[in-house]
Amino acid sequence: MFATRPNLTRDLIIAAAALIVLLLLPYVWPSRMINDLVIRVSAFALFATSLNLLVGYTGMVSFGHGMFFGFGAYAFGLSMQRLGVSIPTAILITIVSSALLGLVVGAISIRLKDIYFSFITLAFQMLLYSTVIAWVPLTGGDQGLMGGIPRPPFLGIDLSIESHRYAFAVTLVVIGLLAMRQIVESPFGYTLRMIRDNTERATFLGINVFRAKLTAFVIAGVFGALGGMVMALFVSGAYPEFVNWTMSGEGIFMIMLGGLSTFIGPAAGAVILSLLNDVITRGTEHHGLVLGAVILLFALGLRKGVTDFIADWFRVRREASSRSGG
Amino acid sequence: MTRNRADLDRRTVLKGAAAGAAATIFAPNIVAAQSKVVRIGMPTILSGRVAQLGTSSRNAIQMEVEKINAAGGLAGRQIEMVIRDSKGQPQEAARVARELVNSDGCEILLDAEASSGSFAVQEVAKDLGVLVMHTNSETSSLTADPKIRIPLAFRSCRQGIHDAVVSGAYAAEIAKAKKINRWGTCSPDYAYGRDNTQLFVEYLKHFYPQAEVTTEAWPKLFQPDYTEVITRVLQSKPQALYSALWGGDLTSWVDQANIYALFSQMEVFAINMADYTVLTAVKNLPKGIHSATRYIKTYPNTKANAAWGDEYRARFKEYPTNWSWENWVGIHFIAEGAKKANSADGKKIAEAMRGLKIDCPFGADGTVTMRAEDQTVINYAIGWGATISGEPYVPEVTGANWDTILQLEAEWKKRNNYT
Repeated sequence: MFATRPNLTRDLIIAAAALIVLLLLPYVWPSRMINDLVIRVSAFALFATSLNLLVGYTGMVSFGHGMFFGFGAYAFGLSMQRLGVSIPTAILITIVSSALLGLVVGAISIRLKDIYFSFITLAFQMLLYSTVIAWVPLTGGDQGLMGGIPRPPFLGIDLSIESHRYAFAVTLVVIGLLAMRQIVESPFGYTLRMIRDNTERATFLGINVFRAKLTAFVIAGVFGALGGMVMALFVSGAYPEFVNWTMSGEGIFMIMLGGLSTFIGPAAGAVILSLLNDVITRGTEHHGLVLGAVILLFALGLRKGVTDFIADWFRVRREASSRSGG
Repeated sequence: MTRNRADLDRRTVLKGAAAGAAATIFAPNIVAAQSKVVRIGMPTILSGRVAQLGTSSRNAIQMEVEKINAAGGLAGRQIEMVIRDSKGQPQEAARVARELVNSDGCEILLDAEASSGSFAVQEVAKDLGVLVMHTNSETSSLTADPKIRIPLAFRSCRQGIHDAVVSGAYAAEIAKAKKINRWGTCSPDYAYGRDNTQLFVEYLKHFYPQAEVTTEAWPKLFQPDYTEVITRVLQSKPQALYSALWGGDLTSWVDQANIYALFSQMEVFAINMADYTVLTAVKNLPKGIHSATRYIKTYPNTKANAAWGDEYRARFKEYPTNWSWENWVGIHFIAEGAKKANSADGKKIAEAMRGLKIDCPFGADGTVTMRAEDQTVINYAIGWGATISGEPYVPEVTGANWDTILQLEAEWKKRNNYT
């Protein structure tokens, strides 16, 4: 899968550079608030980018992706609280169980198209949400997983220490984004784009569309769950809100704000939405109104995400320079 | 040319916006620990369905902090409250609480969250090592369970187990007198509703073993239409009905049950009825609904309590709520703790608060105590009475016996391996 491809070296360099910058950030700019923001954005960036694998690359608009975010948070939290396993084991359990969830939900959902697909994913999410609310002995119901998630040290990493938690989150997000980048740039990624653009053509070319879509759904689910896991580590708990439909909505907003035509768009959207949320809730109780207005502006006024504009700007400039050069 | 100009303009605007945003977020809040002011961070719910309770918490805190500051603040340092909305979401409560400490320089947290948020804030306090006063979370395990309890966390409100004992004892008295053996329950279907109802039934049977639950109805939280549950209860004809519905749900339920004349067919015990938010919102308040006191200015029937209720009403044009008095208790414990420790340092205040007894308009005997062993408040006023249709709404309240509460609470803790 990791065969050499053009731009792989470039992506690796960018990832390494991003990782170094993020790891050095607390030393250059020591602020717990920035650390917190980066950790939360890491969680959302994994979540939004994984959703974009479906929305942007495969053309499957899932309204239920928050189910994986919440599932990841609960799977990780419960493994740590109930099973008392080590953190790497809990991560493994989270990955495997969310892949299984993706397999089951995906196998049923992707038989449906367009709005029907969107709604059945939403239905599955609400099913999980209701289960979390109702299964009080296991999940704590509406109160969430109480009493904190234990964070025993492993391999010299102690996630109860803030700096370790920070380094862990940024490393995970960089590796996660790099892996997803590798996936969308691989032949499989181009298959997904072809399915998005013309499903019939893909079928005629001998592609098993169902299997390709299902694979994408499972991969997206796993990365979405990893995002939820980072969030669970940050708040040291898991709450029903993570599984609620509003979480899926936020994922869609992030993609809209950041832009779905670039790979990094949803991650940028995660940054923007988190910043907007933090700034607006500081200033007013009517945050819903302000946030809604901003999103409306993007959806109706700009009709593109921020990174789409940047990408356009680069393209125009490149074309202009090639024209003047030629 | 025009296009370039447009680009330039948009860039300028974007840059300006970015710079503005950056300035707002990253502006350094220079707050030295030793400055004159001591900041207390207060995450609470100021938007959404329970915003009224969050607002009433904020109101009470504003009113009391002014008084405490006028009397010298915390060991000579004036209190400055930083109050933020958590939208009722635990992860937002955690984020806001962290931000209040890390970026706004708050040295103490006053956690005015509902229960799920309070557990999230507890984790933040544990992580950052700051003093936290939970003012609204009534979930007993927050302070009762040693696995959850932390040395710097206190609770200044009622809790579920106390409520259950008092309710069971009161309901049993009436059951004995009127020979009420067949009981029904109708409570919201989520953790609070289930826990509360199960504990009530347990203590009802403890005091009156003949009691038997023949009907259970579990409407959804925030359900708009209760016709189905009301008719089901009516058909099964229990002699009495217990309900843990609250807020707008309880109001709707009472209004709808009125149509079916439910209140004339059985004794109704609605634990969350006697709070002004509900009492004043019901269209025709039926006579004789039994309720525990949440906040009511006539109980305890003292001048101090009535004066406080009136003062609050004069200022905010509405009566205080259950959460209002609980926040009063929280902030005054911190103030008295600081006075005793002669310091505004969170750890010293915590030390001083353990076992502290303070004068309080909402105390059963004019005082409340911060029990040392689990850092939760006891001896607050609590009782049950029956409603009338207008003020004072619950004219006669039977006060609880705190010796019974404490004894049964101790047994409950033992049963749950909390000791």
